[in-house]
Amino acid sequence: MSGRTAAATAMAFRDQLRRPLVLILLIAVPAYVISRSIATTEGIPREIGLPGGEQVLTTMKDLHGAVMGGTAVAFVAALVGVFVMQSALRGDRRLVVAGFEPGEAITARLIVLAASTALVVAVSALVTALYFTPSGWGVFLVGLLLVGLIYGSLGTLAGAAMSNLAATYLMLFLVMTDLGIVSNPMFGDGTPEGWAALFPGYGPNRLMVGGAFAESFPVAGLLALSAAWAVGLTAAAVAVLRRVVGRRS
Amino acid sequence: MTAFAEVAGSFVREQARTPLNLVLLVFIPIFFVVIFASVLGEFAEALGGDLAEQAATSISAGWAAAFLCGTLAFFQLNSARDADRRLASAGLGPWRVATGRIAAALVLGALVSAVAYLTLWLRSGVEHPPHAALAILIFAAIYIGLGALIGVLVRGQLEGSLIVVLVFALDVFSGPAMTSGGGLTSFTPTRDAAELLIAAGGGRDSPASDWIGAAAVAAGGIAIAMVAFWLSARSRGS
Repeated sequence: MSGRTAAATAMAFRDQLRRPLVLILLIAVPAYVISRSIATTEGIPREIGLPGGEQVLTTMKDLHGAVMGGTAVAFVAALVGVFVMQSALRGDRRLVVAGFEPGEAITARLIVLAASTALVVAVSALVTALYFTPSGWGVFLVGLLLVGLIYGSLGTLAGAAMSNLAATYLMLFLVMTDLGIVSNPMFGDGTPEGWAALFPGYGPNRLMVGGAFAESFPVAGLLALSAAWAVGLTAAAVAVLRRVVGRRS
Repeated sequence: MTAFAEVAGSFVREQARTPLNLVLLVFIPIFFVVIFASVLGEFAEALGGDLAEQAATSISAGWAAAFLCGTLAFFQLNSARDADRRLASAGLGPWRVATGRIAAALVLGALVSAVAYLTLWLRSGVEHPPHAALAILIFAAIYIGLGALIGVLVRGQLEGSLIVVLVFALDVFSGPAMTSGGGLTSFTPTRDAAELLIAAGGGRDSPASDWIGAAAVAAGGIAIAMVAFWLSARSRGS
């Protein structure tokens, strides 16, 4: 990392530290949503389909433990992405005019976004662990992290393309549709429809459900699908950020 | 009156200048009612509530109006603070600016509520149409107050939008639709409005106490929003 990138990153983190409410909310929002939803859910029996086709009998309470962390991470990471982009639009163009390379300015923003996402993922995993123990923590955590990366990048793209209000509405709409309903085994017959795979959260969500309830399941395809979404959207977010902060007018 | 209508109209046009905002204000209530309502019955049962499907469909219309209006009021206050101060200093005065903002928020809230109500009516019918329409409007009014209050207390857009989400989640998970009672249920801002909407969806009349409670909280929400917009519009020196 160049000296200027390190300086921009330090400034970006200092900017966050000046707003301690952000830090508190990045912890409080997922912690409240996850703990409240799991704690109040009844232990109603529920048969679901795991990745690979195996059927398993679990409870609605455990299912909430398996999927609520992903929904909370997605929504918070998406909002952080939206407002990271807004900060870049306001401040980072000035850095570029003052002599910074666009890549140096956006690296700092992306590190802040990644750190915020990592914090939300860590909080979500810790709170989930208080109520529910997945069969395989490793796969479960990978799914959680991929949800954060995918929706953080989607938020960044939405923040570049539309107003804050529209981006916030759109992220709510997308997260609720994708992770809240379409990929959620709590509803329907317990197995997402085939077309659910078209949504960005499908892969990570199935990884989390598999990691939560299966000793072993076919991970490679879901991992490849999720990684493709994460890499593609991150690359798109980087390209848009570079274009936005590099514009001199 | 003409000047006031002009100011309030310009605040509405401010939102209309971003067509995507309007599209989403219309589309999301439809989405909430049509798609989300179909799974809310199962969701409520899992959380210990006892919503029948029709009542679940009704409550989804209230929630759509609530979240959209809360977020709208927050961003309306947050992003217009400087412009409103200039308008007030230029002779309009903070009260008239605040009244114009409230009027614009209520017009947009009524639009969202009307879309949610019409979707509800087309999807599953409404047993008590006036009751349901009023209850959805009450949800909107309460969240206009909450959004404006958050907007005047919190300057950061990320912080503010996360607090709107947190308040909404607290309200939804503790409301009568999702719990079997006790704890926070008695203190959530939309408790009475939710009871009204659930009753209207299920074809039952509501007791007068629910109407009085919901109207009082909605009036409180509008009063809070008025004070919040006034505080935001007045110049630092006055």
